[in-house]
Amino acid sequence: MDPASLYGFGHFVRLTEQLILDLFGRGLLSGTTHTCLGQELCQMSVVRALTDPDDAVYSNHRNHGHFLTYTGNAVGLVAEIMGREAGVCGGFGGSQHMAHRHFHSNGVQAGMTAIASGVALDIKRRASRGVVAVMIGDGTLGEGLLYESMNLAAVWGAPVLFVVENNGIAQTTDTRDTVAGTIEGRGKAFGLRTWRFDDAATEFMHSVAAVVDEMRDGKGPGMLVIDTKRMGPHSKGDDLRDASERSAIVERDPLAALGRTLLAPQRAEIESRNVEFLKSIEAQALASPESRFDVVPTHSMRPALGPVVRAQAAVAANVRGALNMALRDLLAECPDVLLLGEDMHEPYGGAFKVTAGLSSEFAGRVISTPISEAGITGAGIGLAMAGRRPIVEIMFADFLTLCMDQIYNHAVKFPGMFSDCDVPLVIRTPCGGRRGYGPTHSQSPENLLVSVPGLTVVFGSHRHNVGQLLVDAVTRWPNPVVFLEHKLLYGEAQKPGDYEDVASDRRDQGAELFPTLRRGSRSADVTLVSFGGMLPFVERAAERLEREEELSVEIVAPCLLAPMPRHTLSALLLDRPRIAVIEESHHEFGVSAELVACLAEAGYRGKIIRIGTGPVPIASARSLERDQLPDEQAIVQRVLTLF
Amino acid sequence: MAFAIHVPRINNNDDEVKLAGLQIAVGSRVTKGQIVGQVETDKAVVDVEAGNDGFVLAILGEVDATVSVGSVLVWVGQTVDEAVPLPQGTPPGAVSTSSAPTAKAGALLAEHGLDAAQVPASGERLTVADVERFLATGGAASTPSRAAVPATASKVDSVPDVAGELKLLKSEEKGMLATVTWHRDVAVPGYVEVSYDPAPWDEYAQTFGQQHGLLLSPLLPLMAWRLVELAAESPRLNATIVGSKRYEYAEVNVGFTVQAGDVLYLAVVRNSAALGPLGFVTGLVDLQRRAAGHKLGPLETQGATIGFSSMARWKVSRHIPILPPHTAIMVAHAVAPDGSGVLGATYDHRVLNGSEAAATLRKLCKPPKAP
Repeated sequence: MDPASLYGFGHFVRLTEQLILDLFGRGLLSGTTHTCLGQELCQMSVVRALTDPDDAVYSNHRNHGHFLTYTGNAVGLVAEIMGREAGVCGGFGGSQHMAHRHFHSNGVQAGMTAIASGVALDIKRRASRGVVAVMIGDGTLGEGLLYESMNLAAVWGAPVLFVVENNGIAQTTDTRDTVAGTIEGRGKAFGLRTWRFDDAATEFMHSVAAVVDEMRDGKGPGMLVIDTKRMGPHSKGDDLRDASERSAIVERDPLAALGRTLLAPQRAEIESRNVEFLKSIEAQALASPESRFDVVPTHSMRPALGPVVRAQAAVAANVRGALNMALRDLLAECPDVLLLGEDMHEPYGGAFKVTAGLSSEFAGRVISTPISEAGITGAGIGLAMAGRRPIVEIMFADFLTLCMDQIYNHAVKFPGMFSDCDVPLVIRTPCGGRRGYGPTHSQSPENLLVSVPGLTVVFGSHRHNVGQLLVDAVTRWPNPVVFLEHKLLYGEAQKPGDYEDVASDRRDQGAELFPTLRRGSRSADVTLVSFGGMLPFVERAAERLEREEELSVEIVAPCLLAPMPRHTLSALLLDRPRIAVIEESHHEFGVSAELVACLAEAGYRGKIIRIGTGPVPIASARSLERDQLPDEQAIVQRVLTLF
Repeated sequence: MAFAIHVPRINNNDDEVKLAGLQIAVGSRVTKGQIVGQVETDKAVVDVEAGNDGFVLAILGEVDATVSVGSVLVWVGQTVDEAVPLPQGTPPGAVSTSSAPTAKAGALLAEHGLDAAQVPASGERLTVADVERFLATGGAASTPSRAAVPATASKVDSVPDVAGELKLLKSEEKGMLATVTWHRDVAVPGYVEVSYDPAPWDEYAQTFGQQHGLLLSPLLPLMAWRLVELAAESPRLNATIVGSKRYEYAEVNVGFTVQAGDVLYLAVVRNSAALGPLGFVTGLVDLQRRAAGHKLGPLETQGATIGFSSMARWKVSRHIPILPPHTAIMVAHAVAPDGSGVLGATYDHRVLNGSEAAATLRKLCKPPKAP
């Protein structure tokens, strides 16, 4: 904590930032970057106090100071921004998206805050003295997820330190135009312990260290507001503040002030050492070759793991019971499994009773959360990154849109960007209509989900071993999964009947764990491909087609919607003369569209149609809903057009 | 009178429930208010009560099966042997999709270039079995409402490049089109012709006519009868090809051309061989008269197995007839300008060869021995 070391490191950070801007000016790095010039001490202050091995940092786009303080790896930082092999993420993440051990940063404002709350929840449950510092700015105070995360951390008593680096400006917009009320008021509203320091104050570093220390007492989250000033632009040229404001900032510069507390020769020596050091960093970064793929990745899935939980019975009285049994076995045999969701606890046991009995039998393993879909998804990501096996329940699949940024920009991206970051998160959710619940409680959002690159989407039917699918999704498939459950199937008896497994193609990720079923003749007159809650309707339609139209009908029922098992399905379906792909979801730009595209690319020559729901909201009145969603009558009629 | 016990509704959202238990059997005695079974959803179980005293006549569901809310679950009668009311499923006045082909049958029809209207259905829907039966019999066996002529695959025509107007064909024109198309597309027609001295036939006919007091000359009917006898003696004349087999008809049905105004009928005398000469002649004359009045019944315009026509009144010296569908020989009578008789025959070379056809004609040139 001596001034010379602090100044030496702060100056080193500044030189690194200046080098980065200089390299940009020389055309040697491209893309975008956000330097912390002027905020060096602010960025050092919390991170340098994170001395516990469980401590973690979740940072944002303006992360260089945090990163350097956490790792000391300047070559890794500079080369990363330059897109070189020596970069800490091999050039994949660039300036904003970096990861090293417990340091992660991402480029979406507030995006990391709920993840931090999840990681901190894990720390609390392990009774560790670790602290999770999540770095945000005054600009972040506009994002809703931040407040969900603070509320979650407070409800859980989790040791998250929300560090607000308040430099009074969000990109080019002054804080007075973006922040109503006070900053600490926000922390206090959620019961967070709050502190506010000015990074130009002489005791600043000590004050921050004391805060971090206090955070280790297990008394829950806190908010630390640091008043600081950004000396450089937001990014590379976007500084529209007037000259007098900027010169005031230079005058205030706490780093320069710290330097002035040293004796001139000592300071000069530190500075020249840093200058030399930066020259070698620049040379190393420049010498590193441009990043290249050995093989261009076509997916970011981690491979399947071996079985750890007992096998689930293929036949069950009903699907709900099968899922409940699977959750029971997961909780019993896998200590890392944790359930999060709304209204999960006994005696209610979840909106569709899938978690009935579990909260009392497995105390502390079933957490009923506030109504914060994005927040609990992020917390789930954090728990998964911390090595747990979280199963997050989103009460209605319609609400997944609230979770979408956490899924799309975080959960599925991290495994692709960061080679040692796995996100084995399973999100379970009831979907589907035909109960008259109306437009926002009846949807089948498969079309949205399957288009998220890197997301595994599993949707079992009453013919699949749904319990086994869930157990395998949680314990054998360490990738982010959305596990869909059709509301109408909960009460349906689960039995495979005369369905058989289709042998899966090894090239199809996950296809062996999440099998496709089929029944009927392989030289049938027509093949119906369907999944999930649609399957009972398809079976009834098939029975009518067989009885009334003398057709032989084959049914193919995948449960893995994404990544689509294209090789498995193409090989199976290529020679079929007529195919109908039938789903309850919107068929435009969705599952059936993808399957038809795969078949077209494979050279399919037969006749093929899709049956699904049009791009309109699903009505509440049962009579209207009946006309909108495909039923056996509609299926029979449409299938007959193939003849 | 029987009373129904309906499947009760458990909640607003479930239209189907599971039959969870039954405490009765057919023949059980029940009393009003007695619990006869249970239905369940995944949310609740509800008892099913009998609304009346009586005896269980029928139970329309099995335990563990799914039943529709509101449907009849149990019929209860006042006596144990009362009749069970008929299923309430069929809506009154339901129009059957009369003989609409099943999808599979439809595909089979398309494969063979057939029209559903031409194939007789054995039930409410036209089935694969119906089509296969039709194909096997070459379309001969049929109910009266069916035209037995299969439409062959139409060759695509486009409107010629001269101004004009498309008109729909009348049914007899369609029939003619179907006939000549069969002749062209299915049969392999050949033609032979002989000329003969008409005098013996004229004399024979005159004598026959006088003998039986006939008003009109029975010459052509008697010639046709002679053909019937020849056909009855030689099954090969009274046959057609189905697939790669020869189908020898069990009866001789003579198709005799009759011009009635604009319409050319092929009037068919069924089972001619059983009629005897007089019966045949009078039958044919009667047929001709009714044809002239456009009063032929459905069985009288189809099912010909051999054909006979005469263009004598048109004073043409030669007439090469078109084979009626599924016949192997069609004889055409004409009178040459010099008064000699001409007998020609179009024959299906898949069934007969030229020499058989010629032999038939030579035999036909001479009347039978004196009546």
